[in-house]
Amino acid sequence: MASLFDVSSMTLSSMSLQHPTVEEGLVAEEALLDMVCQGEASLGWLAWSPRDRGLVMPRRHERLAGFPDARARLGQAGWPIRFRSTGGTPVPQSPAVVNLALAVRCRVGGSAAHLEWGYHRLGDPWCDWLGALGVTDADLGAAPGAYCDGRFNVRVSGRKLVGTAQRWRRVRGCRDMALLVHGAMQVDDTPEALVAVVNAFQAAIDDPQRFQAASHIALRDVLPELDVETAIPDLLERLVAEEGVAPV
Amino acid sequence: MNTPITVPEDLWEGDGEGVITAWLVDDGSEVAQGDLVAEVMVEKAQYEIEAPVSGVLTIAKQEDEVVAKGTPIASLEA
Repeated sequence: MASLFDVSSMTLSSMSLQHPTVEEGLVAEEALLDMVCQGEASLGWLAWSPRDRGLVMPRRHERLAGFPDARARLGQAGWPIRFRSTGGTPVPQSPAVVNLALAVRCRVGGSAAHLEWGYHRLGDPWCDWLGALGVTDADLGAAPGAYCDGRFNVRVSGRKLVGTAQRWRRVRGCRDMALLVHGAMQVDDTPEALVAVVNAFQAAIDDPQRFQAASHIALRDVLPELDVETAIPDLLERLVAEEGVAPV
Repeated sequence: MNTPITVPEDLWEGDGEGVITAWLVDDGSEVAQGDLVAEVMVEKAQYEIEAPVSGVLTIAKQEDEVVAKGTPIASLEA
C-alpha cells in the first residue's frame, strides 16, 4: 500500500476528500501514476473536488480549428480550459464535482491488464457504495446523449452519475503496466448547468452535436441528505479493499 | 537497420480499434529506446507507445488515424 506522499497542496493516498484547484488535482493524478510507474507503490488513490472551475479535456482538442476562439470564450465565461492525460472528451470541473482516481500496477497477460477490468475495478465498488446508501439501481453502462459518454459510466436509473476514463503506461524496467483510472461524479448543481458548459464549447468549435441534461443525474438528486465530505472515505475504503492488484 | 513501431498486441483485449491521439516527438527526430513517442486512445483509455530501439523516427500514421493492434505506425532507422 502506498504511503502518504505530498504533491503540491495535495496528499496522495489520503482517505480524505481534498479541495485543490483543478490544475493541482490534475497534476496530482499524474503524480499518482508516476508513483506506480516508478515502482514506489502498487496501488495509490486520490479523492478531490476542485475549489475553482474549468473545462477539462484531452490535449488533442487543441488541434480543432475553432479551439483558440473556444478557449477565449470559455475563459471569459469563467470556465478556463485545462488538459488531462486520460481519454475522452470535454468534462466540466467545479466544486459540484467529486473526482476519484486509482493507480494500479497490472501484469501484462494477466486478467488485470485490460481496459474493461480497469473500468470495473473502479466502477463496481462505486456501485456497491451507492447500493449501501440505498441507491438500488446503480450500474455501469452507456448514457446516450451524455457528454463524454462511454460504455462504463456509473449510472443511476440509466443516467450518467460518474464519467470514467483511463491512462496506461509501462512500469519502468519491466513489462508490467500501470493503470490510472479516474471517475468524475456530479454531486451538486443541476445537470443542465454543467451540460450547458459543454454545449457552449460545442457551439464555439462549430460542432453541431449537443448533449442532453436528461442523460445526466447529480448525486444530490438521489441522495439529497448525504454529507459527501463524510461519505467519501467509505467509497475510498471500498476501492482500496478490492482485490486484483498485482504485487510489486 | 530499420525497426517498425507497431501498436503492441498486448495493450488491450479484443479487436477494438484505437485512434492515434498524439505524436509526442516530431517526424525525423532522434529518439532513445524506451522514450514515449505516441499515444493511442481506445474507449476513453489512453495508451502510451514507447520506442522499441533508438533511432531516427519516420511517422507512417498521422494523428487522428484509426489503428488496430499490430499496425505499424512508424519506423526507426538506427
